[in-house]
Amino acid sequence: MSFLLDCPQCGPRDVYEFRWGGEQSQRPAPGALGEAWTDYLYFRANTAGRQQEWWYHRMGCRRWFLAVRDTVTNRVERTFWPDAAAASP
Amino acid sequence: VSERLPPHPAQRVDRSRALEFTFAGRTVRGFAGDTIGSALQAAGTRILSRSFKYHRPRGLLCCAGRCPNCLVNVDGVPNVRACVEPVRPGMRVRPQHAWPSLEHDLFGVFDRLHPLLPVGFYYKTFIHPRRLWPIWERVLRSLAGLGEIRFPAEPPGDYEREHLFVDVAVAGGGVAGMTAALEAAEAGATVALIDDQPRLGGRLLATVRAVADGEFAGHPGWQVAANLAARVASQARIRVLGEATAFGLYEDGLLGVLQGRRFVKLRARQTVVATGGGEQPPVFENNDLPGVMLGSGALRLLTLYGVRPGTRAVVVTSDERGLELALELVAAGLDVVAVVDARPAVESTPAVELRTAGVALLTGETILAARGRRGVDQAILGAVDTGARPHVIPCDLVCVATGFEPAAGLIGQAGARLWPAGPEGSDGPAPRPPGVFAAGEVTGARGLAEVIQSGRLAGAEAALGVRGPDSGRRARAAALGRPTGALEPSSAPAVLVAPLAGAKKFVCLCEDVTEKDIRQAIAEGFDHIETLKRYTAATMGPCQGKMCHRAMIDLCARLTGRTRGQTGTTTARPPIQPVPLGALAARLREPEKLTPMHHRHVAQGARFMDMGGWKRPLVYTSVDEECRAVREAVGLIDVSTLGKLDLKGRDAASFLDWLHPNRFSDLTPGRVRYRVMCDDAGIILDDGVVARLDAEHYLVTTTTGGVDAIEQWFEWWLAGSGRCAHVTNLTGALAAVNVAGPRARDLLAELTDLDLGPEAFPYLAVKEGSVAGVPSLLQRIGFVGELGWEVHFPADFGEPLWDVLLAEGERFGVRPFGVEAQRVLRLEKQFAIVSHDTDALSNPFDAGLGWVAKLDKPDFVGRDALRTAPRGEQRLVGFEVAGPGPLPAEGAAVVAGGRPVGRVTSAKWSAHLGRGIGMAWLPQELALNGALFEVQVDGVTRPARVVVGAFYDPEGRRVRS
Repeated sequence: MSFLLDCPQCGPRDVYEFRWGGEQSQRPAPGALGEAWTDYLYFRANTAGRQQEWWYHRMGCRRWFLAVRDTVTNRVERTFWPDAAAASP
Repeated sequence: VSERLPPHPAQRVDRSRALEFTFAGRTVRGFAGDTIGSALQAAGTRILSRSFKYHRPRGLLCCAGRCPNCLVNVDGVPNVRACVEPVRPGMRVRPQHAWPSLEHDLFGVFDRLHPLLPVGFYYKTFIHPRRLWPIWERVLRSLAGLGEIRFPAEPPGDYEREHLFVDVAVAGGGVAGMTAALEAAEAGATVALIDDQPRLGGRLLATVRAVADGEFAGHPGWQVAANLAARVASQARIRVLGEATAFGLYEDGLLGVLQGRRFVKLRARQTVVATGGGEQPPVFENNDLPGVMLGSGALRLLTLYGVRPGTRAVVVTSDERGLELALELVAAGLDVVAVVDARPAVESTPAVELRTAGVALLTGETILAARGRRGVDQAILGAVDTGARPHVIPCDLVCVATGFEPAAGLIGQAGARLWPAGPEGSDGPAPRPPGVFAAGEVTGARGLAEVIQSGRLAGAEAALGVRGPDSGRRARAAALGRPTGALEPSSAPAVLVAPLAGAKKFVCLCEDVTEKDIRQAIAEGFDHIETLKRYTAATMGPCQGKMCHRAMIDLCARLTGRTRGQTGTTTARPPIQPVPLGALAARLREPEKLTPMHHRHVAQGARFMDMGGWKRPLVYTSVDEECRAVREAVGLIDVSTLGKLDLKGRDAASFLDWLHPNRFSDLTPGRVRYRVMCDDAGIILDDGVVARLDAEHYLVTTTTGGVDAIEQWFEWWLAGSGRCAHVTNLTGALAAVNVAGPRARDLLAELTDLDLGPEAFPYLAVKEGSVAGVPSLLQRIGFVGELGWEVHFPADFGEPLWDVLLAEGERFGVRPFGVEAQRVLRLEKQFAIVSHDTDALSNPFDAGLGWVAKLDKPDFVGRDALRTAPRGEQRLVGFEVAGPGPLPAEGAAVVAGGRPVGRVTSAKWSAHLGRGIGMAWLPQELALNGALFEVQVDGVTRPARVVVGAFYDPEGRRVRS
């Protein structure tokens, strides 16, 4: 694994500068069913292909951002800051 | 006997500097510039190793560091390739894999037993009865493998690492690579040129004949190479990595390069692969005898080292490349008795030249077998298809120059295939991976003019890719020719397989796999190229298929009646050349974090422990004395390792409420509150305290070692949330000392103007002030159950303030105390340590911290889980063990009714209490004050009793005093 990630703050950097934060998922609304919480907490889509996921620039600006990456080829389509409306509550 | 040729300017040996080394205990003379292989060949040593399975003698084959034939142990380092390893005076070279000696290897008996040792024989032979397999396995293990590593007598060696960034990386320093590098550099790109030789020039370095075509026509090859190398050296934008191997091409242009003891991670925007190629040995009986050599290898010995590889040579070929090579060999001074060309008739210019030079050119024939005991004595030649009309030629050298194979490993790793997957003959070129270009012979280019052209074009296009569109550069690339948008499929002819049957026709020299083995494996059903590879292990040895990849595919295709295209290839993966694990691991040490007062602890005789990357004092003198000082006088503990997060912003308060089950929005400025943080599953992640400094300003402390993860957790919940809050990690910026004990107030009062009285500075208050002139933040908290302050101050004052506290504290009986004493003291108070006493299943209710969960708050992280969590199935409680004697280890089982029902998480001897105390997870029916149970200690059980609530000062008077 040696691909480059384009940190929205710092520019293209070696993937080893980052921590992978897993696929992006939607936190259930308060009071949701246990099943919804189980899915959120313990199940992953584990997509082979295009995936929107969290990355943290550990050795740089120490900010989280989102990336769309093909998990098969490691080609990173785009990186961007999470949107206030779309991200975590 | 081999000998040296007269000196020649193309040679790299310096005859004025003789040196000596030992091989198998014998002294060998060589010259500076020699390799171990060339010096041994000059000394008449033909056997350099014994083969993997049959222990057959093997000698120099490729002379280029590609094949497995010359692996030796050099000064304790196994599997060094003698043919490329430079000689150093006094080096000790030992043969591997032979006993008692290379010349008389008793394991050579395996060679005579070969009919009993087919592919996979030991799996078939030794598997019944099943129970004996472990014994056989040990025997086989000792016989198998190459090389030997000895620990710890021979140090693993020290490697270093370099990160290098360039616009264009060029792998291969031959003519194509050099011209590509020059072209790219002249277009403004920064270039790294990687080559595995001490001098740039590639194949051309070893050629002495005049170049036939192009701008250099008339000059000897080595001179052309030297001229180009001089131009490269004078180009400031090119950095040459000599004697280095580009072993892998990874995503986004990362090249793994090994240069001696240095591992270079080379990141390039564009990569030009100019790795050339070489012959693949044909398959004939005894094709592994010493004296059978690649033509290019023999030429290298002759030209670069002035060493005659033999006295009477037969050259075996099937194409024009082979004839050109034969001419080079003749020009370099080799006595060629015959050139055997598989083609029915040859009338090309090189053929005419050979005949003019008086060399016998036999067409329509090939080599059927080599004969000899320790090396070639005779070559048996015969008709290429049938082996008819065999005849014998006495010779001591067979130069094979057949089946040119591009060294396309890097291109394959980049995702391109030189061999298209479709049926033979009908395929178009494979698409070129983005950012990767190929130049020179690896693309199938032939002749110096064509190679130079392809190098220039690749260099120009790589520069264009880096610098972006530019009319000048674009025009230049256009002028150089059509774009190298695609790689040319190689048009290499099939590897020759001699027609006569035989048992010693080796396909894979590394693993001793013969043509017969391949036949048998296919007959057994392993007829797919990938299964054939795995079953026979062909191509899986140290050369990774460089000598046999093509032969195996050809044989597989032929024996299964498929085309080469249908047969396919195995997958190219890094590394191309073996890489020592030490090189990959170079400098990957975790950094050690030292607190600002670290050197004072060292001076005070502390023993250290590792905690979350930090070195922390475990104990200075004695745990009991340190505990007593804290309980009776005053102690100092360096708590600089605590994570410290500064949180500011309009939404800081609501953000803390969101992250914690507890509430912080109602915390009064100037007050401190304990914090426990959970994830959305309600599991405890971390604890610490929150000090509210101001309406919109908090200082959050976290567990030692947890701070990076907690900072990331904070940042993750902030990301995109729209909250106005900002986290700054102050862990390294602030030193911290906990001053604890009944005399803590007396000590600090000497150093600060703050009123430390119980009313002015009550328990759980925080104030800013000056301590010994150092701006500090004082929090009245503690982890040991005594009156105390945690003092945070700028890290630069770590040592001076520590010194002042110790000096001023002397009359109060101050002592520094370490983590061990702290752990005893906190256990006396039954304070849990998160992730020591808790684990990935612990929620606050079970850990006795249920009071922190304010479920009446609106949504927060973990709320739904905590609302519905099953409570109290297991509880974390304190216990005591009566009387002296060994204490249970952390993790020891709690036993009730002869069954394990829980486990111990902490246990220490409390000198103050005079008994062993600890914490354990117990089922709720046992977790009652006074309940009796048993703990396992060293295989026996000891009685223990539950104590709910602190052992020491259960009312908490001292901490509030």
